[in-house]
Amino acid sequence: MVAFVTQFIQTLIYGLIEGSVISVGAVGLTLSYGVTRFINFAYGEFLTYGAYLALFLSGAGLGLSLPLPVATVVAVLVVGAFGVGVSRVFFEPLSDRGPLPLLITSIGVAFILRYALTATVGVSAKQLPVPLMRPVEVFGVGTTPLRAAVFLVAIATMLLIHVLLTYTMLGKTMRATSGNRNLAEIAGIDTDGVVRRTWFISAGAGALAGVLYAVLFAPFRPTVGFEYLIVIFAATLLGGIGRPYGAMLGAIIVGVAMSLGTTYLSAEYTMAYAFAILVGVLLFKPDGIAGGEI
Amino acid sequence: MDAFTPTALLSLPGWGSFLLTVLTIAGIYSLLTLGLNIHYGYTGLINFGHVAFFAAGAYTAALLTVPPPAQVSGAEYVFGLNLPMPLGLPISLVAAAVVGGLLATLIGATSVRLGSHYLAVATFALAGIFGSVLENEAWLTNGSFGLNSVPKPGRAAMSADTWAVTYFVFVVVVLVVVAFVLSRLTGSPFGRLLKGVRESEDAAQMLGKNTIRVKLTSFAIGGAVAGLAGGLYAHYVGSVVVQQFVPAVTFTVWAALLLGGVASNTGAVFGAFLLVGFRESTRFLTNIYDSLLASLPTVAADALRLAVEPLPDHASFVPSLRFVVIGLLIVLVIRYRPEGVFGDPNEIDAIGEED
Repeated sequence: MVAFVTQFIQTLIYGLIEGSVISVGAVGLTLSYGVTRFINFAYGEFLTYGAYLALFLSGAGLGLSLPLPVATVVAVLVVGAFGVGVSRVFFEPLSDRGPLPLLITSIGVAFILRYALTATVGVSAKQLPVPLMRPVEVFGVGTTPLRAAVFLVAIATMLLIHVLLTYTMLGKTMRATSGNRNLAEIAGIDTDGVVRRTWFISAGAGALAGVLYAVLFAPFRPTVGFEYLIVIFAATLLGGIGRPYGAMLGAIIVGVAMSLGTTYLSAEYTMAYAFAILVGVLLFKPDGIAGGEI
Repeated sequence: MDAFTPTALLSLPGWGSFLLTVLTIAGIYSLLTLGLNIHYGYTGLINFGHVAFFAAGAYTAALLTVPPPAQVSGAEYVFGLNLPMPLGLPISLVAAAVVGGLLATLIGATSVRLGSHYLAVATFALAGIFGSVLENEAWLTNGSFGLNSVPKPGRAAMSADTWAVTYFVFVVVVLVVVAFVLSRLTGSPFGRLLKGVRESEDAAQMLGKNTIRVKLTSFAIGGAVAGLAGGLYAHYVGSVVVQQFVPAVTFTVWAALLLGGVASNTGAVFGAFLLVGFRESTRFLTNIYDSLLASLPTVAADALRLAVEPLPDHASFVPSLRFVVIGLLIVLVIRYRPEGVFGDPNEIDAIGEED
């Protein structure tokens, strides 16, 4: 009985940690959906680029060896700026053509980004320079300080995004643009500027999610972001697409469900639990679980 | 074997049998593209999981015709129906199409009611999960080793080259029949109904049409065609392995459809041949490079070597560039020529006006 409870709590902890990482990616995806109104299938590549950039900056390849936290911050900023560039080159020219051309273009962009990376660095698995750590345990449950740090960084990011959306002018204009772009424009908001800044935040959040994922589940390959996309989609749709707080909640549920499923059902189907949730949402509650606007 | 049997009649040069392989695969991809064209081109349904229907057909054909596991060493699967060839071939292909269509109906049932974004996500996710089921349920699929003794119908009676020609002709016949049936279908009242749903679901509903059922039927037909392609593929290659059924297949088919021309069956076939031709011919870039180095005068060879030197030197360089080109193709066609080569611009305007 004690063993069962311990294992259960431990499983929940792992689920919460992974859920927190998913939430960073899901919030990023959902924010950009809010202002662009298409689901970006190239979003996973921001995770991949974040993880690889952090890798290069912190030891492999470029002759640099920044401490990982510094490398992560640089990677987030660079990928954020890169996201703005991707949007200007690929998506902005199509912005008046409706959602389908954008959606299909995002698949093309995903291919270009992912395979440009594999053409450059190859497909072999890489690992961030993170130390092996012994878990800190209380009553038989716990986690490594590294995983705890991942969790804290993710939670801090959520709080930051909350503050941004609620208290800053940028956040308010983002919400206005997301709610009704024409109205926002009439009200004097520079919606193009808002869209660009949203791309920066969205791609930066993706990069951070990529680094955090790489810390949790080393080693990784150039396909890491694309493969994780299903999980991020599940969290995003569960929370109701375009709703940041819904995405956070959805991510935690997906993370815990994946963790429980892996422990108690079958370890081979981690992603399938996310998918089962996705199908359930599509069938029964396509608007997601969280009501309200962003 | 004596010289009077048909086996000795045909012998192709190396490039000839390579060309034949490319054309056969292109024929199979043409079917995949025709199937997707029913979904996206005619009905406006975004299907990002086409490879799942292809895989379902291939595995169905394989399971119906592989020998029972007792006859195969190291087999993990428990089920192999061992239908005799070539008589079992029609059964196996029809079953492949039926399973492809059923799977499409099942997925469609979860999401055709919803907007295209949800459908895109659902089909994409499903294909990913379907792939992991194929990999993990070894009792059915032999896991990551795959089913490697799928019979090649008629192969025992002919030489390799004769069989290759025969199977190519068979694929072309199937392709022509399917293309004919589909063009009759899309030109029929039902085809106009599909387009009606694509252009305005509300209007179709106002006219009393059950648009959900129309979309599901469209999904089933396209999925069945993809399943049939899977069956043809399994019997051609002689083995089915999970690594053959990756998302890149789906998006190669998308690139072929967009390039050839949405809502044009000619375009779909043209696009598939062009894409497969491009994909297969670039396999030889490194060989061409090596033979150039050997045959060019020293100065030119050195210059070439110098020009290539800064490029990364690993095995995945050229294959990766192939997919960069496919990605670029998708982006450029959508942006500059959304109707593709054979499509009608008026048809394209109609897709994507929703919300």
